Amino acid sequence: MKILDVAIKDMTRSFRSAFALIFMFVIPLLVPVLFYFMFGNIANNEQAFQLPVTKVIVVNLDQGSPTFQQAMANIPGVTQANSLGEIVANVLQSPDFANLLEVTTEADAAAARAAVDNQQAGVAIILPADFSAQFSALDEQAVIEFYQDPTLTIGPGVVKSILNQFMDGMSGAKIAVNVAVAHTGAANPAIIGQVISQYIASQPQGNPTAALLNIQSPVQTEPARSSILVIVGMVMGAMLIFYAYYTGVATAQGILQEDEQHTLPRLFTTPTPPPSILTGKFLGGLLTVAAQVIILLIAARLIFQVNWGSWQAVTLMSVCIILNAAAFGIFINSLLKSTKQGGAVFGGVLTLTTWVGAMPIFLGFAGNTNPTVNAISLIAPQGWIVRMLMEGANNAPLSQIVSSGLVSLAWTAVFFIIGVWRFQRRYI
Amino acid sequence: MKPKAIEVQNLHKHFGEIRAVDGVSFNIEQGEIFSLLGPNGAGKTTTISMLSCLLRPEEGDALVLGHSIRKDPMGVKSVLGVVPQEIALYEDLSARENLTFWGKMYGLRGPALKSRVDEVLEVIGLADRAKERIKKYSGGMKRRVNIGVALLHKPQIMYLDEPTAGIDPQSRRSILDSILALKNQGTTVLYTTHNMEEAQELSDHIAIMDYGKLIASGTNEELGQIVGEMDRITLTINAESQNVLEAWKAVKGVKQVTAEACPDHGRGEWAYILLVDDSNQVLPRLFETAADKDVRITSVDIQEPNLETVFLHLTGRALRD
Repeated sequence: MKILDVAIKDMTRSFRSAFALIFMFVIPLLVPVLFYFMFGNIANNEQAFQLPVTKVIVVNLDQGSPTFQQAMANIPGVTQANSLGEIVANVLQSPDFANLLEVTTEADAAAARAAVDNQQAGVAIILPADFSAQFSALDEQAVIEFYQDPTLTIGPGVVKSILNQFMDGMSGAKIAVNVAVAHTGAANPAIIGQVISQYIASQPQGNPTAALLNIQSPVQTEPARSSILVIVGMVMGAMLIFYAYYTGVATAQGILQEDEQHTLPRLFTTPTPPPSILTGKFLGGLLTVAAQVIILLIAARLIFQVNWGSWQAVTLMSVCIILNAAAFGIFINSLLKSTKQGGAVFGGVLTLTTWVGAMPIFLGFAGNTNPTVNAISLIAPQGWIVRMLMEGANNAPLSQIVSSGLVSLAWTAVFFIIGVWRFQRRYI
Repeated sequence: MKPKAIEVQNLHKHFGEIRAVDGVSFNIEQGEIFSLLGPNGAGKTTTISMLSCLLRPEEGDALVLGHSIRKDPMGVKSVLGVVPQEIALYEDLSARENLTFWGKMYGLRGPALKSRVDEVLEVIGLADRAKERIKKYSGGMKRRVNIGVALLHKPQIMYLDEPTAGIDPQSRRSILDSILALKNQGTTVLYTTHNMEEAQELSDHIAIMDYGKLIASGTNEELGQIVGEMDRITLTINAESQNVLEAWKAVKGVKQVTAEACPDHGRGEWAYILLVDDSNQVLPRLFETAADKDVRITSVDIQEPNLETVFLHLTGRALRD
């Protein structure tokens, strides 16, 4: 019971200190907020980015050709068209490209070019009168006139890409026809239609127009997250770890402070066993770190929607960080003679170990996952917590997180045993 | 015959080369106020620290109401209330919170704890400011709470280590009255001080310590007999003079002479403290000798025999050294 009394007294004092509260909660939450405001604008623009809609004028002068029409008639399952120009126009006006292209038709090629010159349109596509005829002739080349606004790059590039892919498909079909004609020795429209039909069937999508532009996002199991939230999540993770260890060290310093403020010797004059007093002080530090970690985890989730991973991973990581930070604090303070040494040692040791341990997070900003750096980071106790944090956020298997947790707990045991041994030697 | 409250047997403690406590032995009867008197560094606090089981003696033992400080420290602590020399309180907690926490450390719980905290707040005169944090209190108020903590469990024995150090006269008077009240309630008090007047006013028994040793022990009257009817004369002169020192030592009726720089030594004044048989007879001879040595006496102070005189007689130094 007295152990709990000492722990509660220490927690009360910690939570009454404005200085402690600022370091425990305000700064760890404030830094990610600052990152949000620093980089949020960039990320929001990135999120809102869309390809501009390109105005396209199609001038279909193609008069078709009998050979083409006969061949089309022999292709089953394909929308019939009188000319290849009509097919090209239909492809560009497909609903699939509605968010990329605003296609209008024009009868006069000069008027279409003038519209581009006047920047009323980005691209004019002029399909010549003999477009189908040239395509149907075995040894001729079908040519499309592509007239674009020279000040535009992305929009015309997209249109050109669509046309190129379509025409590549058509060229492939034409080559197949040429091969078939060379074998049979006659340009029979029925044979041509059959060859084209087989060619279409051999394409991956079974339809050459279907694969002209296929924009795909990475496979996701949950809604897409803004990149700023990913950055904030990483910063929040680093802040959580640094300040949890800070609190662990600061609360354990309470033992030295009480010694210097004469309350610890006075406690030892009461009929309370000294081991109970020290255990109470350790417990106070542990509970304070626990409260801090839980509040920060929940606050980060609610404010920044940080994805900490599954509840099992979060629980395991939380237990490990709480125990390790508290034990680390006891260990570091057991090496000190007085609180006067604390500032320099805490600043140096905490900064160095957190910096080393959190290297994977810092490198993560640069998109780098260097295995050597990851291995070096595990020299510091914080490194294993960072590893658990990242494994949790990346939905790694629980067994993998448990392995990291076991190593962290081993660190905890070493810190605790050495720290308690040294404090007992000093006070008991 | 009542058993002794405290029996101290040949305590030894040293820190490096310094013998902080060197073979100290004394007994304290139940219900009496026993003062350890001595200058700073005499070993008083080290002795109290051993008697409250904070330090382990290298040799010797002490029995506190029959509990050995070596073999039964928890038994010793359960009958003790310790008031340390320093303010040992949590400044960021209120007086009530401090008393409640310390009460729990002494094993009090529930309604008994609450009523005892209320009683102690009344005793120390801070009931109306009990909710204020300690850091807002004056030095005297803090001292009172510091004592209040040790009263919570109604201990049979109280140790007070220089509880009046650095406080205003009003608070000092209040604390001394509280200690006398404790004695009237039957509490045994072990009191350390370097203030001779406090020791004389409070104590049934006084032990004088210097350099870790107990150099004298007894009642106020018994200690006075050590110096007999000697008077203490303090003569201030305008410069240090070895000649006059030697000359005064040779004056008939002078038993002892020591010299020390005055607090306002910037003016070059030195105080010579003399123990003499009869100041009325000796004083004119001292003035004559000073005149012969061309030394000007700037002030004279004559005191009846007291503990200061005893200490001076025993150690050759003033107690405030």
